[in-house]
Amino acid sequence: MSIEQTTGNPDFASEAQLKRKALFRTLRIKALQISLAAALLISWQVLTDHKIMDPFFFGKPSGVWTQLWTWIHNGTAAGSLWYNAYVTLMESTYGFLIGVILGVIFGILLGRNRVLAEVFAPYIKIANSIPRVVLGSIFTVIWGLGSTSKIALAFVLVFFPVFFNAFTGTHEADKKLIANARLLGASKRQVTRKVVLPSALSWIMASMHVSFGFAIIGAIVGEFLGSNHGLGLLIATAQATFNPNGVYAAMLIIGIMALSAEWLITQLENRLLNWRPNQNSGAEL
Amino acid sequence: MANGVHVKFSNVSKRFRTPKGDWYQALKDLDFEIHPGEFVSLVGPTGCGKSTALTLVSGLEFPSLGTVEVEGKVVKDIDTSTGFVFQHDATFPWMNVANNVASGPRFRGLPDIDVEALVKSWIGKVGLTGFEKHFPHQLSGGMRKRVALAQCLINEPRLLLLDEPFSALDVQTRAIMTEELMQLWEQTGSTVMFVTHDLEEAIALSDRVLVLTAGPASVKANFKIDLPRPRKARDIRFQPEFIKIYQEIWEVLREEVDVAYQRQLIASK
Repeated sequence: MSIEQTTGNPDFASEAQLKRKALFRTLRIKALQISLAAALLISWQVLTDHKIMDPFFFGKPSGVWTQLWTWIHNGTAAGSLWYNAYVTLMESTYGFLIGVILGVIFGILLGRNRVLAEVFAPYIKIANSIPRVVLGSIFTVIWGLGSTSKIALAFVLVFFPVFFNAFTGTHEADKKLIANARLLGASKRQVTRKVVLPSALSWIMASMHVSFGFAIIGAIVGEFLGSNHGLGLLIATAQATFNPNGVYAAMLIIGIMALSAEWLITQLENRLLNWRPNQNSGAEL
Repeated sequence: MANGVHVKFSNVSKRFRTPKGDWYQALKDLDFEIHPGEFVSLVGPTGCGKSTALTLVSGLEFPSLGTVEVEGKVVKDIDTSTGFVFQHDATFPWMNVANNVASGPRFRGLPDIDVEALVKSWIGKVGLTGFEKHFPHQLSGGMRKRVALAQCLINEPRLLLLDEPFSALDVQTRAIMTEELMQLWEQTGSTVMFVTHDLEEAIALSDRVLVLTAGPASVKANFKIDLPRPRKARDIRFQPEFIKIYQEIWEVLREEVDVAYQRQLIASK
């Protein structure tokens, strides 16, 4: 192929051309994403302004904005907005951390010990089949309106997915690698820590992505059922006063919290699993 | 070492449960001895139970009947003076090359300073200097095999078990690796049990070749390889003595290969 023929062929592009192309692509995607959000918000606003959609049920973007503004500047009935957000975040985080730690410990313990696994199997199945959100009522009765009952509910929701993934990940650990570690001189404990745990880590990380969402659900539902503070309480109050804008405004804050947590978990995953080959490289299919 | 015997198989039989629930006999009355410092190859038709014999020496599995002794003691558990290089890739994918090579000494609780020096020297010996920070998936098959060799040899095993270590490599890489293995072994002087179905490789490397029967495996013949050392694995195969030995062993091995092949044909009908 002659040099002239290669112009315009992406496989022969210069470094600068490739960079510019990549930048354009990113900008275009971002522009499309922003326009999509704008289109949705504008149509929501216009439809509710003209009463095509009833603002009594659907609220309106300007109303949500005003509600947020009021909360930020004047606080809420249950204290400052930040404090309420902090309470929910704290409850979810504690529930999440306790759930992840115990889920991983029990998952690996039962995954490594066949007798324990067989003894516990039916009980775990039963516990998993119970609709766990219902336990929130009991926790509220036991621990009252404070944070403990919310942390407990968040924990119960987080524990099972993490446990099951840690258990499966432990089972899926490559038997050849375990044999190799044993022959290299590893004790049973070293095998668990240095071979089984790293192999199970991609399973555990996968469960952590979903389970922070569960932790927030646990905290919010707990606050719904009875509390003095928290975003769940703000939603419950807004609902009681027929204020859909308040519900949406609280939802928005919860969404921001969940996305930030997701971002943090992804960062952690990239750090811990940096040894994995990049699955996204190669030809687009 | 008891009576100059490093590994001793005494009437060893091994049978397994197949997933269908039948019994499969892999070894039958296997009986042989290996002397300290010897390089012995086990050759035999595919699926005859060669690898099973190695797992019995390593302590990953135990005989159904008979005993396997290493250095005069019956094998009852994994012995850390025995090294094992697997047919498949068994490097830890989440550790870089340096950490993979360091894993044995670290498991054994060696102080970090000593580990570091050992790792550096072994990475050099297997020719991976400059690749310390690479992860296994970033290396070629041949380089991963070098990691596996260094990972095993760094523990200075007195007995080295090699289970078709190069069978997954292409022919050229394999020839290079065979030669390097021989050089590394000549430095260590450890006893080696080498399982392969490549007769050429077996003769080029070994002091002795044991031909096993089609499964269940027992020893069919025992050939001493009197070619002078140090050998050049890549060139030795053109020497007349090599060709003569090759023909002799092949005569014996061929009968077993035929038996195994006929069985496969019947089984697949």
